Amino acid sequence: MIDLIRRRLLTALPTLAAVVVLSFVLMRVAPGGPFDGERPLDPQTRAALMAAYGLDRPLPEQVGRYVWRLLHGDFGPSLVYRDFSVTDLIARGLPISLTLGGLALLLALLLGLVTGMAAAARPGTRTDRGLMLGATLLTALPSFVVGPLLALAFGLWAGWLPVSGWGDGYPPHMILPVIALALPATGAIAKLARAGLAEVLAQDHVRMARARGLSRSRILIVHALRPALVPVASYLGPAAAGLLTGAVVIETVFALPGLGRYFVQGALNRDYPLVLGVVTLYAALIILFNLLADLAYGWLDPRARR
Amino acid sequence: MRPALILIALIVVAALAGPLALDWRYDLIDWDAVRAAPFTAGHPMGTDSVGRDLLARTLVGTRVTLGVAFAAALVSLVVGVAWGAIAGWRGGKVDEAMMRIVDALYALPFMFVVILLMVVFGRSILLVFLGIGAVEWLTMARVVRGQMIALRDRPFVTAAEAAGAPPVAIVLRHMLPNIAGVAIAYLLLTVPQVVMIESFLSFLGLGVQEPMTSLGILLKDGADDMDVAPHALLLPAAVLVTLLLCLTRIGESLRNRFVQ
Repeated sequence: MIDLIRRRLLTALPTLAAVVVLSFVLMRVAPGGPFDGERPLDPQTRAALMAAYGLDRPLPEQVGRYVWRLLHGDFGPSLVYRDFSVTDLIARGLPISLTLGGLALLLALLLGLVTGMAAAARPGTRTDRGLMLGATLLTALPSFVVGPLLALAFGLWAGWLPVSGWGDGYPPHMILPVIALALPATGAIAKLARAGLAEVLAQDHVRMARARGLSRSRILIVHALRPALVPVASYLGPAAAGLLTGAVVIETVFALPGLGRYFVQGALNRDYPLVLGVVTLYAALIILFNLLADLAYGWLDPRARR
Repeated sequence: MRPALILIALIVVAALAGPLALDWRYDLIDWDAVRAAPFTAGHPMGTDSVGRDLLARTLVGTRVTLGVAFAAALVSLVVGVAWGAIAGWRGGKVDEAMMRIVDALYALPFMFVVILLMVVFGRSILLVFLGIGAVEWLTMARVVRGQMIALRDRPFVTAAEAAGAPPVAIVLRHMLPNIAGVAIAYLLLTVPQVVMIESFLSFLGLGVQEPMTSLGILLKDGADDMDVAPHALLLPAAVLVTLLLCLTRIGESLRNRFVQ
């Protein structure tokens, strides 16, 4: 297991480094710079600014300095939010985004697994087909459709839940965003769990267990669930990427002050350090989740550890 | 599959021909009917918050979304097939290196790479689909490589080699036609992916720009306005969901037909 972790880290770290360096270079070679306003600056001011931000150094040195600061948790200054550093903005937005994404992932796993098990327990019946049709529908509904529709139905028409703002973490404010973020992943997890269970349930050890007179639910939970979870575990990586992108939209729809909102604002305003910082962070999170998925995979299926 | 095909055909025809039959252009403002309700004179689906005909905007938006989707899917087809064919044909070290790159790219946050491209090079429709195509070719490359390896040792390929055909001709004339079916199935599965990405970007204001419109922009406008005009959200949402469901359905049944 330790060996597996080490091998995965050996490929994960170069990937992350490549993302950071490529994004940085891409931003530097792009036409237009942060000091190109409507009125050209006089050459001396411009040179002073360039020197102050270290932009007059050769490109490899700039990359090196950026990475060095990054390793110390310093993402540089934001160009648009004047008095904030990118680190400040991330420190404000990240807890909200992590709460949102974590709750959504839990909800999606819970709902998805239950749905998948309910469908696989009675394969080919109307329940099975109905649940799987529902799951397909959910995966086809992107979060930027689900979010506004939920807000419309439960927030504006029914008036049950707030549709805007984080309310400093007051739980009712979280309900709609978390559900809207979780639903697409729920559909995918339900489908994977159903497929995994169907495959396992057709195997000999399950037939044996049935022959010994074990109850249907005992077979499902004790004997079939663990091997059937393998495809679900390998989906955790893509799921994390999906939740992060989904959160960008959901935070915009529900006006939540999370990381995704700062990211969109940064992208709209060409705030390079902010966009660069958030992309780096997102890449690290996704790589971390792929690592976790691999570990879960190895735990569920010992053959995969080698 | 047939109902899905019929629905898609209807949507495509409506998006292409529909705007011609309407009284209002998608970007014209009707000053006498700002935020008109559906079924009012001259505006079958009402108007948006600045008085533009909603039906015309939805039809043109669908056209733009589908256009971007097919263009981006074609980019992904060209890149993916070329990459997969070279890797599958050459095999060995070249194959391993090329597939390692694909694996590494799979681990990247796609959406953020596209957004990064938008930030760096400015926002234009051309870039939207080039950027999306550039990140959506990975699955295609994997599939094509797998097919190439399966075909590599078939007698007709050996025969072509023995007859002295140059490798380029063998790949282009003998092998690629044999994987066309699978490639087209995956091309169709790429289209709904691209539709989703394009709508996502436009929804955030990073994709197609006003006054040009797309389903993502309409959804954003609808969401901003839903407390007074819910139909402005529901109409584009319905079109987008129908498109996604039908395209996925068609792609999946084609794939099931060609892959065993």
